Amino acid sequence: MTIDMSQFYQVFFEESAEHLAAMEGLLLELDVENPDSEQLNAIFRAAHSIKGSAGTFGFTDLAETTHILENLLDRIRKQELGLRADMVDAFLESGDLLRDMLEAHQGRGEVDSSQVESICSRLRLLSADQAAQVVSDSAERGDVSCVQTAKAAKRVFDIQFVPTEVSARGGGVANFLEELRLLGTVEILSQPASDMNNVGFWQLRLVTEVAQEIFSDQIDFIADKSAWRVVEESAKDQTDGAFGFFDDFPGEPEEDQGFGFFAPLDAGANVLVATQSSSADEESYGFFEPLKQVENGSSVGAERVSEQDDGYGFFAPLPSDSTPQVLAEEGDGFGFFVPIAHAPVSKAVVASVDSPAASVAVPAEKKTNEPLARATKQAIPAAAADSSIRVSVEKVDQLINLVGELVITQAMLLQTAGQIQQGAPERLINGLAQLERNTRDLQESVMSIRMMQISFVFSRFPRVVRDLSGKLGKQVELKTSGETTELDKGLIERIADPLTHLIRNSLDHGIELPETRVAAGKNPIGTITLKAYHQGGNVVIEVGDDGAGLPRNKILAKARERGLPVSDQMTDAEVFSLIFEAGFSTADQVTDVSGRGVGMDVVRRNIQSMGGRVEIESMLGVGTRMTVRLPLTLAILDGMSIAVGDQTYILPLSYVMESFQPQIGDIKTLSNQARVIQVRGEYLPVVVLHELFNLKARSSDFTQGIMVVINADGITAALFVDALVGQHQVVIKSLEANYRRVQGISGATIMGDGHVALILDVSAIAGMAKTSMQKAG
Amino acid sequence: MESMTHGGSAIDEDLVASEYLTFTLGSEEYAIDILKVQEIRGYEQPTLIANAPPFIKGVINLRGIIVPIVDLRIKFNLGKVEYTPFTVVIILNVAGRVIGAVVDSVSDVFSLTRSQIRPAPDFSGTFDTKYILGLATVDARMMIVTDIERLMTSADMALIDSASE
Repeated sequence: MTIDMSQFYQVFFEESAEHLAAMEGLLLELDVENPDSEQLNAIFRAAHSIKGSAGTFGFTDLAETTHILENLLDRIRKQELGLRADMVDAFLESGDLLRDMLEAHQGRGEVDSSQVESICSRLRLLSADQAAQVVSDSAERGDVSCVQTAKAAKRVFDIQFVPTEVSARGGGVANFLEELRLLGTVEILSQPASDMNNVGFWQLRLVTEVAQEIFSDQIDFIADKSAWRVVEESAKDQTDGAFGFFDDFPGEPEEDQGFGFFAPLDAGANVLVATQSSSADEESYGFFEPLKQVENGSSVGAERVSEQDDGYGFFAPLPSDSTPQVLAEEGDGFGFFVPIAHAPVSKAVVASVDSPAASVAVPAEKKTNEPLARATKQAIPAAAADSSIRVSVEKVDQLINLVGELVITQAMLLQTAGQIQQGAPERLINGLAQLERNTRDLQESVMSIRMMQISFVFSRFPRVVRDLSGKLGKQVELKTSGETTELDKGLIERIADPLTHLIRNSLDHGIELPETRVAAGKNPIGTITLKAYHQGGNVVIEVGDDGAGLPRNKILAKARERGLPVSDQMTDAEVFSLIFEAGFSTADQVTDVSGRGVGMDVVRRNIQSMGGRVEIESMLGVGTRMTVRLPLTLAILDGMSIAVGDQTYILPLSYVMESFQPQIGDIKTLSNQARVIQVRGEYLPVVVLHELFNLKARSSDFTQGIMVVINADGITAALFVDALVGQHQVVIKSLEANYRRVQGISGATIMGDGHVALILDVSAIAGMAKTSMQKAG
Repeated sequence: MESMTHGGSAIDEDLVASEYLTFTLGSEEYAIDILKVQEIRGYEQPTLIANAPPFIKGVINLRGIIVPIVDLRIKFNLGKVEYTPFTVVIILNVAGRVIGAVVDSVSDVFSLTRSQIRPAPDFSGTFDTKYILGLATVDARMMIVTDIERLMTSADMALIDSASE
């Protein structure tokens, strides 16, 4: 039976990209001198997950590269090899390469196979470096943990597995055998008939010095979870008489594919908490329910057979002989685990993590708890993964649309109820009020689905800073805060590029070289701060550096050279915003290094297209701070509704500065064409909305209407409207979906009464005001 | 032999009937492919769009979708342009867009086979013949079978930014 795997590809791509991102983040955090074992494990897990799914889906190139990567990681995490900075570099590079491969599989870009080859050999080399040390290392460290107690003595493993079809045909078995041969002597006890393409039951005997963990992951790679087992033959001798040891090992591998089997515990009635909780049911995926054995109990205490848990990548499937022995302490029910001298014990314990008894057991066995702790940590991401689901954005958007409809319907009902003569029945009014509250809550919750933490974007910057500072020979520290600030998914995706640009800019042009910094009496290590927070209805993201700052005079001089209209009276903000002018900086040597603000015009344009704006503050010699302000979401807008004639328009509130009623004589004309109005000493161009839109106004008398001062793209103008109606949060709807772009209109929305109101494009209107002024001037 | 097969399939096609919705503009009766019609609803006052041609009445809210409304009577200068409770808007689904068309009235749904649709003679009028698939006669009524998708997406309807000719 063949299943069309391609339907799952998208999930695989997304997951792998996430794993890669997680891996990169962890690698960057990693302290090379003193790596945290939890982090190492997390990195390993990420690589392992990619490898596992790549193998499943048949992306052999990905799987192979990750496999080599994983091997090295595995040795590091087992402390068989010390972590070195060049390894981190190699890991990061292979991460990049894996990402390229993923992209290539999605039909974007190509992968340079020679690059793949070179990184693979580099990883192999790094891995080989250490392989020589493995034995001696583990011998020296014999007392550290049970993993390392793996004796240098010869051990005999009986390996049985049924490879998956994909890996069998793809030569995975052959590779595996080859790798085993590197570890020791391999004897093939039974293998499938030659016409079976390696698909079938394999039995091997391996005589080696290394611990089982070294190769058990590789078996896991080629064989289905729980379609393999490894038995250490000598392990049977280690049975400690003090504890019941249940050897359940049958002669044949389990054919029931991952159904944990429990040794039939038929005797006794003594039930132990630890026993129950650690005997997880394989079908419950990590949620543990009391088992049937509760009733049956076990007489000796807690010995039980570890289950093979099905389908969970985190839990390496257990060979069935890896029997953790759980000792009961009568009375209190705490169990503690006596690890047997080989690795799978730690894995077996994973299953029991969720139970209180097991967590008590961890501290109880301080000395031998390293594998336990590791196992405990492994289980945590599993629980986290369970608490979220992957949903396509379209579905969420559809939900948002529907809720928007509900809000409108609700408003219509409320309005109708208000119009009923002699008042509506009280129960109806109450019901409607409740409906209103509920719909608002519903809308808020639905909107929050699209919200994502900005750490999604921030997490990529440590890498950017690391790479670039290395390249430029600068010492830079990146500080981030407010990573949990939430932002609409659409914005998150679009803010990444502009922010990267700002950070690169700060690094390239802001932060000075260490010598320069020392000469200026600064810390040789420069700091770039990345901060996100909410302010009003906006999300503010600040990119700050403690570098050289912007040279006002040089910018002014350059602007004059380019013939831009500048004067010495311009404020700092105005001068600095010149670097956002298109082409201003690219050819410009503002600083000694290169033109500050390459592509800054693109940055500003991108941010503006998101409805945001960017500001610069800078002090020469002290630093620069770029502040990006974004709306919380693209879908909702704080708007002011204004009336012109019989039409209602929405003016985005973020552009509105003030409004006032003009007095007679306030409005002057320029060469009898353009009108201006004086507001606190400044002359602003007047845009008369009903003229612009060819509408019939209620009154053409300026003193009967309202002037709304708007500011967009640095242009301030006064918009003349008939009246201000109110303030609303409106859902932005596209006009272009079924119609076309309309000059001066940025979109549409649906008002409470079900009618459509158009949203004014303030930037365009301000631009019109400017051009009409220039024509007149 | 080959021509035989061709002839056979042509006959088959001629026998396949498609359904057409007919509506009137003034005294003329038009037929459009019913599969392009999403729904028929009463006229409601749309929201004006600034500086739009007069036959574009504005946009309405159709269950959360912003839908432009075209008055075909103004566009083709047919019939009396007045808006009563009986004025009908045909909501069309053409070229992936939703567009409302105001007509005088909706009359019938007919099944027409290809052979019933006769090519229209060349005539000059406001209605460009390139949007006319042909003429059909049912019960002594002549109907103008219109390619509504081509009409609505054409440049002279000014409904789409980059309209095809």
